Amino acid sequence: MKTGTLVLAVALLAYPFVLYDHFYWDIGVGLLLAAISASAWNIVGGYAGQVSVGHAMFFGIGAYVPLLVFNLWQLPPIAGAPLAVALSLVLAVVIGLPTFRLRGHYFSMATIAVAELIRIFIGTWDFVGAAIGLQGPAVGRGWWDLTFRSELPYYYIFLVVLAVLLYVTRAVEKSRFGYYLRAIKAGERAARSLGVPVQQTKLKALLLSAVFTSIAGSLYSIKTGFIDPESGFGILISVQMVIVAALGGAGTLYGPLVGALILVPAQTATNTWFGGGGSGLTYILYGGIILVLARFEPGGLHELWQRLAPRLRRTPRAA
Amino acid sequence: MLLEADDVTMAFGSFRAVSGASLALDEGEIIGLIGPNGAGKSTFFNCLAGDMVPTGGRIVFAGADMTRASPEAHARAGIGRTFQVPTTFEDMTILENVMVGAFLRHPRRADAHEHARRIVEMTGLKDQAGQRARTLGTPGRKRLEIARVLATGPRLMLLDEALAGLTPAELQQAIALVRQIHATGVTLVIVEHIMEVIMTLTQRVLVFNQGHVIASGKPDAVVKETAVIEAYLGHGRRKRRP
Repeated sequence: MKTGTLVLAVALLAYPFVLYDHFYWDIGVGLLLAAISASAWNIVGGYAGQVSVGHAMFFGIGAYVPLLVFNLWQLPPIAGAPLAVALSLVLAVVIGLPTFRLRGHYFSMATIAVAELIRIFIGTWDFVGAAIGLQGPAVGRGWWDLTFRSELPYYYIFLVVLAVLLYVTRAVEKSRFGYYLRAIKAGERAARSLGVPVQQTKLKALLLSAVFTSIAGSLYSIKTGFIDPESGFGILISVQMVIVAALGGAGTLYGPLVGALILVPAQTATNTWFGGGGSGLTYILYGGIILVLARFEPGGLHELWQRLAPRLRRTPRAA
Repeated sequence: MLLEADDVTMAFGSFRAVSGASLALDEGEIIGLIGPNGAGKSTFFNCLAGDMVPTGGRIVFAGADMTRASPEAHARAGIGRTFQVPTTFEDMTILENVMVGAFLRHPRRADAHEHARRIVEMTGLKDQAGQRARTLGTPGRKRLEIARVLATGPRLMLLDEALAGLTPAELQQAIALVRQIHATGVTLVIVEHIMEVIMTLTQRVLVFNQGHVIASGKPDAVVKETAVIEAYLGHGRRKRRP
């Protein structure tokens, strides 16, 4: 394990004990959730360069199904997570199969359209609570309901999921699949000429991405015990995944985590300083970040660091 | 017969970019496709590479019908191609670029790495192997494209102006590299404007003009044919003085 990775792991493990307060634990949980969602998006959006702006559809399915199985059959919400993953996989195939046959922005457009259609549909469907949404168990019937009073258990559950996701992403990076993803992002025509099965590879990336995004949604709804169309399928959920990954560095292992480390505390700060009236600042913050990234640093902080690090190392020491 | 393109036609609406072009290629040959700009050689080349599906005719490679096969299927069958404008994977290192090609026949990472390393050494890119492709100049990029295709283990390589834009010294090195590749048993089809390359490397040339093959044969004989001279220079009117 590299030193940087080790330091990061220790810092994340020790965080709740260094900042021993519910307020900071809540920020930590939000940060990890954003990192998981963005890292999941990163597999297809970052590595393969297939920019989905509708990943909230997988997040929303992941969030709704656990609370739905609880409401229908009184099962522990976590029991719905595998079903949510299965549904997300089906949806990924339905979107990926036709759009990945084409080059260009068809995939991005399809993801926005489908996510919005699902949000509107869910908002009017009484079976899933329509605009009001669904609630989880008010009081835990046992540990299996995963309803904890403290944020601390959620923090470590989320951390384990993030660690697994980063481990999987690292394995992807090193594999033929990972090389193929990067080649597709760099040039689809050239990749095909080298025998890369482009459509199949992109679809695999979307499936893997959908699995972890769905899991992120399930974690969210199990923790909050509540879900409605906006917090499950809202466009802001999708946009946040894109921005968090792009800020840190899309297509890099730790980019989404770095993005979350910056963006989530920044969001919390704006909300804390400006209270309820500051909620609109999130949109302004996202817009500003998109502008700055597009204009000055499309590769995100990772690219900036790659450029600056050699210069910093060359800086002569004072005599 | 390694490759047989029979009566290949490629039409875009009413415009025929290639009209009934045929080519028979034996294993181990090097042939050149020449002709003025817009003659149809690149379109014909793209049909051979699977980048375009011809609107007429048939292309057979090693006994298999490849007429409508995808570029991926062409690569798997053993047909590799370079691009007129190099399309290297800019953010990947040179070795990683070559590994993408190597993975086709070596699915395990360690094997692909080893194979790519050998190819990088053979193509003279060893010293830059760890650099990103974007750091290379034109000669390096052209060389990298060749290396990447070579890593797929092709039986037939299609080089699309792979030697254009090089200095005389770089050109000689590139010619030597193509010869080296040919010596390993790879058959080559070269689209090129530089006559030095055609005359030095190819055993046979096909001359395209306005979508048709107007001449074929040994390079030194073909370049003397009136139809070929007229294709390049236009129809001259000879006036004899009495």
